[in-house]
Amino acid sequence: MTVAMNNETIINRPRSGALKWDLIGIIVIVVCAALGYVLFPDNLALLTRILAVALLVLSLDLVTGYCGVATLGHAALFGSGAYAAGILSAHFGINNPFLMTFGGIIAGAIAGLFCAVIMLRAHGLPQLVLSIALIYLFHEFANKASSWTGGSDGLAGIMPGPVFGLYEFDLFGHTAYFFGVALLLIVFVLLRILLRSPFGLLCRGIREDPLRIRAMGASPKTALVKMYVISGAVAGTGGALSAISTQVVALDALSFTQSAEALVMLVLGGTGSLFGAIAGTLIFMLFEDYVSAANPFHWLTMVGALLIAVVLFAPKGIYGTAVARFSRRGEGSQ
Amino acid sequence: MKKIILYALAALALNSTAYADVIKVGVVGPFSGPFALQGKNFKAGIDAYMALNGKKVGSDTIEIIYRDIPTADPAQSKALAQELIVKEKVKYLAGFYFTPDAMAATPILKQGNVPMVIMNAATSAIMKTSPLVVRTSFTTWQTSTPIAKVAFDAGVKKVISVVSDYGPGIDAENAFKAGFTKAGGEVVESIRIPLATNDFSPIMQRIKDSGAQGVFAFLPSGPTTLGFVKAYNDNGLKTAGIKFFAPGDLTQESDLPALGDAALGIQTTFHYAVSHDSPENKTFVDAAAKAIGNKAELSFPAVGAYDGMHVIYKMIEATGGKQDAEKAVEAVKGLSWTSPRGPVSIDPESRHITQNIYLREVAKGTDGTYINKETKTFEKQGDPGLAATK
Amino acid sequence: MQTVFSIAIDALAYGMVLFVISIGLSVTMGLMRVVNLAHGAFAMIGGYIASYVARDLGMGYAAAVIAAVVITIVIAIPIERLLYRRIYGQPELTQVLMTIGITFCIIGIANYVMGPTLKTIPLAGPLQGSADLGFRAISIHRLFAIICGLVVALGLWLVIEKTSFGVKLRASVDNAAMAAALGVRTEFVYAVSFAVAVGLAAFGGVVGAELLPVEPYYALRYMVTFLVVVSVGGAGSIPGALIACLVLGAIDTTGRYLMPEFGEFFFYLAVIAIICVFPRGFAGRVT
Repeated sequence: MTVAMNNETIINRPRSGALKWDLIGIIVIVVCAALGYVLFPDNLALLTRILAVALLVLSLDLVTGYCGVATLGHAALFGSGAYAAGILSAHFGINNPFLMTFGGIIAGAIAGLFCAVIMLRAHGLPQLVLSIALIYLFHEFANKASSWTGGSDGLAGIMPGPVFGLYEFDLFGHTAYFFGVALLLIVFVLLRILLRSPFGLLCRGIREDPLRIRAMGASPKTALVKMYVISGAVAGTGGALSAISTQVVALDALSFTQSAEALVMLVLGGTGSLFGAIAGTLIFMLFEDYVSAANPFHWLTMVGALLIAVVLFAPKGIYGTAVARFSRRGEGSQ
Repeated sequence: MKKIILYALAALALNSTAYADVIKVGVVGPFSGPFALQGKNFKAGIDAYMALNGKKVGSDTIEIIYRDIPTADPAQSKALAQELIVKEKVKYLAGFYFTPDAMAATPILKQGNVPMVIMNAATSAIMKTSPLVVRTSFTTWQTSTPIAKVAFDAGVKKVISVVSDYGPGIDAENAFKAGFTKAGGEVVESIRIPLATNDFSPIMQRIKDSGAQGVFAFLPSGPTTLGFVKAYNDNGLKTAGIKFFAPGDLTQESDLPALGDAALGIQTTFHYAVSHDSPENKTFVDAAAKAIGNKAELSFPAVGAYDGMHVIYKMIEATGGKQDAEKAVEAVKGLSWTSPRGPVSIDPESRHITQNIYLREVAKGTDGTYINKETKTFEKQGDPGLAATK
Repeated sequence: MQTVFSIAIDALAYGMVLFVISIGLSVTMGLMRVVNLAHGAFAMIGGYIASYVARDLGMGYAAAVIAAVVITIVIAIPIERLLYRRIYGQPELTQVLMTIGITFCIIGIANYVMGPTLKTIPLAGPLQGSADLGFRAISIHRLFAIICGLVVALGLWLVIEKTSFGVKLRASVDNAAMAAALGVRTEFVYAVSFAVAVGLAAFGGVVGAELLPVEPYYALRYMVTFLVVVSVGGAGSIPGALIACLVLGAIDTTGRYLMPEFGEFFFYLAVIAIICVFPRGFAGRVT
């Protein structure tokens, strides 16, 4: 069984337009971030959380959307980054947010390498199960190492210092929000460049036909491992952002639930495109926040209905379907 | 940047005087997901208190805002607490079923000038994280220490302890061990089992092989408890005379109908039984049963929430509806009243509730339902956990 | 030695309960190629119906089992026509999204309708209590579950390998277009297999309720276990699922006896090891 993807139309865009799309992407993110700040100044904590999870979903998109590796254990990378950043601050007194983020990136990349080595031994359904086994092992390990991680009580005592020595992480979350937006922008630009590089194209090729890639003399496995490490770094960034902004890390950062939710958000937005990943996260989390505040007791049914509706009416994901519709209309008018 | 914060703070302060007639209380708890039952009990306790005591304190109307955290998720908890304080402008935070969720929210209390009333989360250490926290539930140390004495007095000298491998389980294991060795008994083996355990037969075999005369157990309520108690019966431990001791989380009233005859005779110590015999409790149970809709679903988180509301009402009275977290907390230090669970007071030093712990036995009530029948009272128990972990 | 026997019996009983609940999922995933994460939800519906019939209506265990299977299938038919039919042959991730959505909905509805408490299914008289095996006691219900597992395994194997329906099913799975051209009504075949899978889920939910008690979160709580068992066995293979259940049951039980603290580690390390050696599961086909 191979994981078939469903939005080739988004990916095979001519290269000449790529730079234009980069710019548009950056502008869209900046405008959305500014809008969020102006319109919802009291919800910055939620918006920052969305930024952190968006990084996780982007990272998942790299391996699932671009390389066709289905995983239900991607929070292992996210959680490793979160714990690394948290431990740096809580145990070693390294409170510089940039150093903490860097620690998260390194830990995420190492976790990515570890997961890749195991994950790439199987395909399809067994691969999915490998990822589940991995996330449970990570979870148990963090639970056991409670002197370092705080176990099920969570790791508290994370006190990130002010950014550039000026901007404190406070109750209102302005600093955390701008810090998060900056991280997302940097990651987005770097990923756009990466995915356009020969290496990025190679990875897409692997998803479509690994046999042919091997025949061309490239090693699919090495490329996938590399991509996994990069994905780990991105997820680690998200984890570090989560640790810095909430100042607490707990086992749920390494949980199956977190992994599964990330996958749901990705598919909801549309796999194989960075915009799809971000859109999926935004839509899912805002929707969840809205319905769970409106009815804290029975909101799960509404989320379920949303997922079913998306499959029925937007089978390529919300963003993917929108793009497909637009491009079809564009062709029709030409 | 700093200016913005100042403005925001000023706006907040202005707001709080402008809307003094509605006081919002933000309640964070598990209202959906695997622990929905406990969240439902929070709401029942709060509704019951407000039904019996009115929705007004002085001229101020109390409004409750619920926010859902299905499982322990501190990042989400912090985001929700922040949102409640900054956006909804709540003056009190309450609820909190899980320790990590409470721990995540305590650091922002001071900045938000908001007191927190914990209605369940049972780890001793939470109280140390902020001076603005008051707790009206219990700690695992508080409920697990007396059972050690009960076990020893029942003639059991060798006990094996079996707990779920997470914070509260480890607390229970330590509390029991400390109490039991102090009494002169011996804990022959301490087993920690993963939270997600479905089949308890191998554990029962292990208990049998250990040669212990009794077993002390702590597991989260729900499916695991049911599995554990069933396995205890099915594998012949009950007939072999191995005695069963636990804190009352294991025989939560809402689980009793499912446990059925299998649970009969199990001895637990806890701070509250729905069957507690007092006029205060009768009034409470009637009101809470009405609020929850089905009396069989009622259990201990409801009483924690009910007393939590009592503390919040007292805080509002003391501050006259103004936002002054320190004054509010100061006002309830040493407060004592008669709760549905019996006489209670807030310990001025730890801000944790001092209360009676009862020894109970699962029995069949007069109407054929299963109840926790109180047989003995350990009066005025504080929290031994803080001293032990210092 | 006694301990070894004792563990072996526990392992067998646990493995067979897992088998009864998971085999329906093996049918949907292997034969129909649908990653059906809502399998646990159907098992839960079965459990609720059985609990209602046996406890609230007092109609006895046998009636409860039959009612659970029949009513769950009746509930599942419209779901199959309206929702599942849209995802046959779709990419796996789309199927994951749809079936998780269905699971969320069913959990929410169950919580609303049945309340969040545990529901039990009162056993028939002869199934209650424990049997003495000489060196230890075991509940009679466990023995019953072992027998159920064996009967289900044998029955399914006979249907798939020996009946004309089995032939049509395998043909539709291998090449739907060709089978349809040869006059097999593939839609009908799929609908029937789906009904069988759901019926098995409900049956498993009822029989396994002593071990995995029925409550609203059931559908998600055990989903991972079912998925792991089916994949390790190789989706669609009945002997594979049987072997996987017995092996994983044995590892889980032994691990929990020897080193309960590391019970989870044992189980998941074993899963990783097995998949590294058998990358398609014990009896997986090449697809």
